[in-house]
Parts: sequence; structure tokens; C-alpha cells
Amino acid sequence: MQILLLGVNHRTAPIDLRERLDFSTRGLDRALGEIATLGAGREAVVLSTCNRAEIYVACDDAAESRRELAAFMSAFHQVPASELVPHLYDEVDGLAVRHLFRVAAGLESLVVGEPQILGQVKEAFAAASAQNAVGPLLTRLFHSSFAVGKRVRSETALAEGAVSVSYAAASLARKIFGSLEGRRVLVVGAGEMGKLTALHLRTQGIGQVAVTSRTMAHAEQVVDTIPGAVAVPWDTLAPELARADVVVTATGSPTPILTRAQIAAATGPHRGRPLFIIDIALPRDVDPSAGTLEQVFLYNIDDLQTIVRENLSRRSSEVTQADAIVDEEVDRFVAWVRARGAVPTVVALRQHFDAIRRSELQRLEPKLASLAPEARARVEEVTRLIVEKLLIGPTEQLKALPDTETMTLYAEAVSRLFELDPGEPGVQGSLARHRATKLKS
Amino acid sequence: MNLIPLILYAAAAVAYAVHFARRQPAAGRTATTLLVAGALAHTFIIGMLTVRSGHIPVAGATPAISTFVWLLALAYLYTEVTTDERAMGVFILPLLVALQIIPAVNPGVEDRAAVLHSSWFGVHVSSLLFADASFALACVIGVTYMLLFKEIKAKHLGFFYARLPSLQVLDTMNRRAIVVGWIFLTVGVIVGTIWAAQARAIDPTDPRVQAMSLEDPKIFVALICWLVYSFEVAVTRLAGWSGRRAAWLSIVGFAIVLLNLVPISYFLTRSHNF
Repeated sequence: MQILLLGVNHRTAPIDLRERLDFSTRGLDRALGEIATLGAGREAVVLSTCNRAEIYVACDDAAESRRELAAFMSAFHQVPASELVPHLYDEVDGLAVRHLFRVAAGLESLVVGEPQILGQVKEAFAAASAQNAVGPLLTRLFHSSFAVGKRVRSETALAEGAVSVSYAAASLARKIFGSLEGRRVLVVGAGEMGKLTALHLRTQGIGQVAVTSRTMAHAEQVVDTIPGAVAVPWDTLAPELARADVVVTATGSPTPILTRAQIAAATGPHRGRPLFIIDIALPRDVDPSAGTLEQVFLYNIDDLQTIVRENLSRRSSEVTQADAIVDEEVDRFVAWVRARGAVPTVVALRQHFDAIRRSELQRLEPKLASLAPEARARVEEVTRLIVEKLLIGPTEQLKALPDTETMTLYAEAVSRLFELDPGEPGVQGSLARHRATKLKS
Repeated sequence: MNLIPLILYAAAAVAYAVHFARRQPAAGRTATTLLVAGALAHTFIIGMLTVRSGHIPVAGATPAISTFVWLLALAYLYTEVTTDERAMGVFILPLLVALQIIPAVNPGVEDRAAVLHSSWFGVHVSSLLFADASFALACVIGVTYMLLFKEIKAKHLGFFYARLPSLQVLDTMNRRAIVVGWIFLTVGVIVGTIWAAQARAIDPTDPRVQAMSLEDPKIFVALICWLVYSFEVAVTRLAGWSGRRAAWLSIVGFAIVLLNLVPISYFLTRSHNF
């Protein structure tokens, strides 16, 4: 069996093509059902996100399956093959495994290390699993990819640090306040940016959202789009400032609307808790000197963008380490597949020995008939143990063979020596190419 | 004998540092395991001394420091287990190691003067040592609060930002440690006053008993500590002082405690040199 990957992603295909190749809109289950009828793959998983559409199959002949799957994608999405094929990439065995592991680790993502992809890989596998589209090979492959994703996240800083302005704001708020539950955010201004930041803080679990604007109707419009938010009148700005834990300012005002004095009044000496001000307006809404007040943390749009840039560059410096983990896990998976290749030979050898044992016992039946039931059971047990012990060495040796070529030779030799017929040939040689191709890439 | 916990604490200190720098979960687990082993060995030593002499080994500066280290290790382990936060270990462990060197190098002989045969004395020293352990924790929490506060205020989100819990969590932990410490400090001081009166009745000729007044440096500095921590409890609980100021007070307070625990106990006091 071979593992084949075929697909497009944000590097190979433009957005309009990726949109047309989105499996979730046309039905993932239907796609899995149709792939199953192709004969292209005995096992299949379809991974479809906004940045990629990939099909992973376990098949007997990768070249044949590649043609079938490309034709299937073109027909299923009604995209002419001439338009689709130039954007398709494919990988076989070791390289396909490596690609999936890199995807799960977030190394193939548009924003390196982004957290959603691992969940999406899990969902893709769960969907295929629910359709009975996966067997032992892809099950093991995907479970290994989840482990890779987890390892990379816990052992490297690849997924660390916020990489968008609103996420940076939310993670800062959490570093200041701990849990955001029970905290209150005041949004000053009814613009789009303020609304988005408030919405993000809301999904991050902030307790209350208040919106104020010079025109009350505008504030009310914003409030309608954020669950649980309230609009507060502009003339209550001072008490609202004192009540708030987080303030987001995003007005179009050409001059600062919050002076140092106003903020100082809201954070008097008896406040006992910090005030986190996020000024995402341009020009700025908050007098920058307010940042020196004892309990005030003031961040403007430039500060947040600097954090995002720093985080991105820190992430890219972790890529080498993450790739090392991926390579290690690919090697482990390939070793597992290789050991699995020995299974038919081992099973045949075992059946062969057991058949001899049984026939010998049968031949001796007249002599054993006089024995007590316990003694007969003992004879049965002893012969079984002898066979087991004889087979331990050869079994381990076969599973530990260093490469597939040697294994094929050994499997043939064992089959010849014991006159075995191990159903399918030991292993395909293709996985052995993993190392060679890895070196090339 | 105090060498075994010292070695284990030192090994734990290294493991906590590795955990803090590299953030490997395995290093963190090793650190906690080593610290638990050190605390257990220490418990065994203190238990044996207690059984042999019939009282907790707190008479004299050296056994008191050993008991203080033991209480601090336990108090820190309690905080780590309840908050699931290992970042503070890298700051606490060096203190444990530094102080444990004293009893490890110089075990000291404990001969209890007649005036010390009182249960009031045991309560007095134990509760003060426990208060000191709480203040040590508060100090370390205060230091981490300042480090994190500086990073966030200066908009340089770096080393500590990635490793420490939120300011809110640190502030709550600081306040809690200060309140617990303050309660034990108050109890210790009151019990000490009662016991001093008793001691005067038992052995009025002992020069140490005669020196038990506010003029003695150890007693005077202890009173300053009490005033500093009472002030901190009052301003954080009642006046709504910010976390940064509370953190400062915790650091200053413990600097005074440490001064009283080591140099004053060994070189200056005339009333507490048993």
C-alpha cells in the first residue's frame, strides 16, 4: 500500500480557484463516498479549509490513483482539468506523510503556527472515520499527525504570541487581568475597528461590553451586532471610564478625545485595579502622556502592530526546530509502516508452525487419549509455548530490518525456506525512498 | 545531616531554572519532584530532632533558620500545587539554598536554657517563622509582579511576559500571602510578649531576659516589620492601593525580615541569642 496526497493550497492556487474547490460547500460526505467508488484509494481523508483542499488516500498504485483523483476533483467541483491541473501538487509516501505532519504542525499555514489547523485536521479525520472511509494505515497516519501538532506546540514557540492586532489586544488584557470574565470593556466610537475589537474581546470571554458614541443611534447600531452589549450616552463618559477595565477608542476625531486629566480622574488613587486602554484610532484618540499614569496601560495601534511583527519573526525562527520534530516523527511513522510490512510474513510463519504443531498432536492422538484431561491440557500448552519461543527471534528480527529492500529479500527467503504463501508481498519499496527524497528536498 | 536537603534543594533550583528558561514540562516535573524529596528529607530531620529533644528545633538562630527553610519549602509547594504555577520556583529556590547553607555548614548545638521550657516559646518562634515564610513568598511574588509590570508598561513583551501568570493573579497571591503572614506575625509578637513576662518570673537574672525590651535590635526591628506589613494590609484592603505599590511594600518588608533573621540574630541581639 502507498500513501498519496493530492491537492491545492494558498501557495499553489489563487483564492478564486480555492473557493471553487472547497469540499465543505459541495458536501464532504458525498466526496468521500465518490472517492470510495473510484478504486483509487482503499482509505481516504479529505482536508478542506479556506487555505487548502487536499485528499489523502492509501492506494495500491500511486500513479494510477493520482490520475483518478485529479479527474475526480475536476468533475466533482466542475472545474476544467486544464484549469485545475497546473495548480495541483502531489506527494507519495514519506513526502506525503511529511506534508501532513507539517500541515498539522501549522508549518504549511499562511500564518505560521496558527492554532485552528490542528482542529481542522482532526475534523477531517473524524468525518472520514464516520463514513468508514479510513483503515489502519490512514488512522495511524492521522493520529500521528495530531501528536506532531501537539509536540510542536508544546516543545517550540512556533504557535506563541499573538499575530493579529485584535488577538494581541486580547492576550494583553488577559496578561493584565487574568480571566476576562466579569471585566467590562468600554468602546468609544462606533467605527468598524472598535466593533471588531469588542467582538473579539467578547468571544475571548469578557463579561460586559458598553459602547458609546457622540451620536447615540450609531452606538445602538454597533450594540445590535455584539451579543450582550449595551449602548451608553456620550455624557456618561467620565463615570463609564471609571467603571471600565478595558477601553477601546476608535473614533474618527481629528483631536484627542480623552485627555490625561480625564483618565487621571477615572483612575484615582483608590481605584485598586488597572485600566487597559487600546487606542486603535488614527490620529490617536488618547493623549499619549496618559500612559505614564500609575494604573494605566496605554497601547496604540503602532504598539500592537510592533508586537505582532515581533511575534511573527519569533515564530519564523522556530521553524527549523519544528521541522526537526516533524522529521523525527516521519522517521518513526515510516519505521512503523516498515514493521507493518513484515506482518504478512510473520503471520504466515506463525500459521505454518501452528499447523505443524496441530497435525503432530493429531497424529499422536491415540497415544494421548489415555492421559488425564489436565495432562492433555499441559501437553497442548507446552507445545504451544515451544512454537512461541521458536518464533520470537525471527519475528523481532523481521520487524527491525533497516530498509524495505532487505525486508523483501528476507520475506522471500523465509517464504522459500518454509514454503509459505503470505497473501500479499511483504512491503512496497516506495517508503524507502522517503529518506532519499527528504535529502533531495 | 542538613546537607541532604541542601543538595536536593540545590538540584531543584537548577531544575527550576532550566524549566523557567526553556519551558520544558519534563524539567518542571523534575524540579517539583526534587523539591518534594528535599522537603521530605528536611521533614525527617526536623521530625527526628523533635522526637529526640521533645520540642521543635527552634531555639537558637541556626535551628530556627533550618526550620524557616523547611516551612518556606512547604509553603511554596502548597502555592505551586494550588495554583499550578511553577514560575515562582526559580526565585524561591535560591533563597532556600542560600539559607540552608547555614545549618548545613554549622549544625549548632541546641541546649535549651531553663527559660525556654515553655510551650509559649514554641508557639512564639513557630508562628513567627511561618509568618517569615509567607513574607518570603510575598516578596518573590512582588519581584515577579514588578518585572511583568515593567515589561507591559514599557511595551516590551519579552522573557517574563511569556513565563509569568497575569498581574491580577500575582497581585491576589501577594495580598493573600501578606494577610496570612500578618496574622501569624501578630500572634507571634503577642505570644512573645506573654512569654517574656513569664521568663522574667522564672529567671530574672538571665542577661538575655533582662534585655527583652524595645531597645533590643531584634525586638525593635520586629516591631518595624509589623508596622510595615500592617500598613500594607491596610492600604491594599481599605485604600485600594495599586498592585505595584503593594509589591514594593512586600519587597521592602521582606528585606527587613531577612535582616532580622540572619545578621541581627547572629551579631546584634542581646535578648534572642540562645
